[in-house]
Amino acid sequence: MTWLRRYAALVRAAWLVDLQYRAAVVIWLLWGITEPAISLGIWWAISAAGPVAGYAQGDFARYFFAVILVNQLTLAWDAYYIDRWIRNGEMNFRLARPMNPIHEAIADNIAYKLRTGGMVLVLWLVLAAVWTAVRIPVHPGRWALAAVAILAAAAIRFLNNFATGLLGFWTTRVLALLDLQFGLGLFLSGRIAPIELLPPAVQRIAALTWFPYTLAFPVELLTGTAATTADVARGFIGQAAWLALWLGAYLLVWRRGLRHYGAVGG
Amino acid sequence: MSALPLGARLRRAVALVAALWRANLAEELQYRANFVASLFSTVFWLALAVLTVALFFRQTTSLGGWSFWEVVALLGVFNTLAGVVEAFLRPGIGRLVEDVRSGALDLVLARPAEPQLYISFRRIDIWRIADIVLGLALSAFALAHTGHLPGPGAILAFLATLAAAAAIIYAIWIALMSLTFWFVAVENVSVLFDAVYEAARYPASAYPGALRFLFVYLIPIAWTTTIPASALTGRLRPAAAATTLAVALAALALTRLLWRTAIRRYTSAGG
Repeated sequence: MTWLRRYAALVRAAWLVDLQYRAAVVIWLLWGITEPAISLGIWWAISAAGPVAGYAQGDFARYFFAVILVNQLTLAWDAYYIDRWIRNGEMNFRLARPMNPIHEAIADNIAYKLRTGGMVLVLWLVLAAVWTAVRIPVHPGRWALAAVAILAAAAIRFLNNFATGLLGFWTTRVLALLDLQFGLGLFLSGRIAPIELLPPAVQRIAALTWFPYTLAFPVELLTGTAATTADVARGFIGQAAWLALWLGAYLLVWRRGLRHYGAVGG
Repeated sequence: MSALPLGARLRRAVALVAALWRANLAEELQYRANFVASLFSTVFWLALAVLTVALFFRQTTSLGGWSFWEVVALLGVFNTLAGVVEAFLRPGIGRLVEDVRSGALDLVLARPAEPQLYISFRRIDIWRIADIVLGLALSAFALAHTGHLPGPGAILAFLATLAAAAAIIYAIWIALMSLTFWFVAVENVSVLFDAVYEAARYPASAYPGALRFLFVYLIPIAWTTTIPASALTGRLRPAAAATTLAVALAALALTRLLWRTAIRRYTSAGG
């Protein structure tokens, strides 16, 4: 109960801060939309003559609209803050608080994503009213599963990003590491194209990483591409495994990092 | 200062920018490790961009009428202009929003130098000039693969339209950054440029109807890379080249007008 009250207060505070920066929030939202929209534009043109690898124009439209929504709901940015906090000393007063700073970050994520995810959803609904290609089949059961998958994807990306940011306790090149993960993720998570369109060797590499579970899997669940029970089960098992792995990584880096950080400051 | 003849004013402007950049260079040379890091990052992103195009070309033989190597040549132009942004615009004009918020703009306005010139070119990120060089190298490499090397006339047209594209991008930055005089809480307004510039990665003709209308006419960003790359690949018609140069001149003139209006509005933090 105490935790529920704490979180309610933190989310409310984050929501009010975002409200102050309305224009900035809209600009970040636009930034998240343009890249998938450009990919969709190119694939739309390529598939004008006929479906490519089983994807017709409408399939691409639904895929990338789902990418915009899922990406908005699973965005992770905390490493950039953590990197700055560690370098300019702001981490110190956060550590002096009686609460792990990760809770503030989680609350911030909830507030921001409720607002921007809602905006994307409204945008999608409005466009779907006039553009039949972006309508996905009404299937409440599958949507509920997709909601769970999106939540798990957001948690994986968040923990991965947070743990990477905490490496700032040891190195000053965290931003380069983030760039590397972001760049690989463009391909391996299905941002630029559905995974089936990647060369087979790259598909095999993707399957060994957490990237497809953070975007492609929830997207395909939402659009109905991942329809068989085996597909869905495999996706959720993969998500559970990577979630456990990144949670473990976060806990390890956090505990070791604090000891290391204290040793430098002490 | 405006009483001086144009020649003297230009000489003074060049001398000012040269002095600022010399100081800047002396400072940056102390951080040579940053150069290696920046170079690695540029090569990484260039490789990903080429791989993305390769992914598209697994399913098609042309993108808006452009072959694989022609699109790669365009990517080189994209990277070159991105280098112009990172080296010259973001470190200078890109900090205007912060200057207005913190009040540092007052200090700039109190200087005897022309404020738009000073704000725009006070600082450069020297290492990112490597992006310009790498972009041009990629274009040259790609052109060698197409088997149609541009002649001297085409190269001249390329350089002229590239300069025009840089001027248009500069005008877009001034316009975006000037928003801060009206709305203060837009500290990430440069992200707006990044978002829209993404569209310039591919030839303007590659986009379907609605998007093409958006990127070609509403926000004419797609032209900045498509036109110079057209000069390299032998697609540029003289009329299009002349239009681009005219648009660049008009954009610069409008920029000047916008800047004067904005600065007249500016009343500092206390106003």
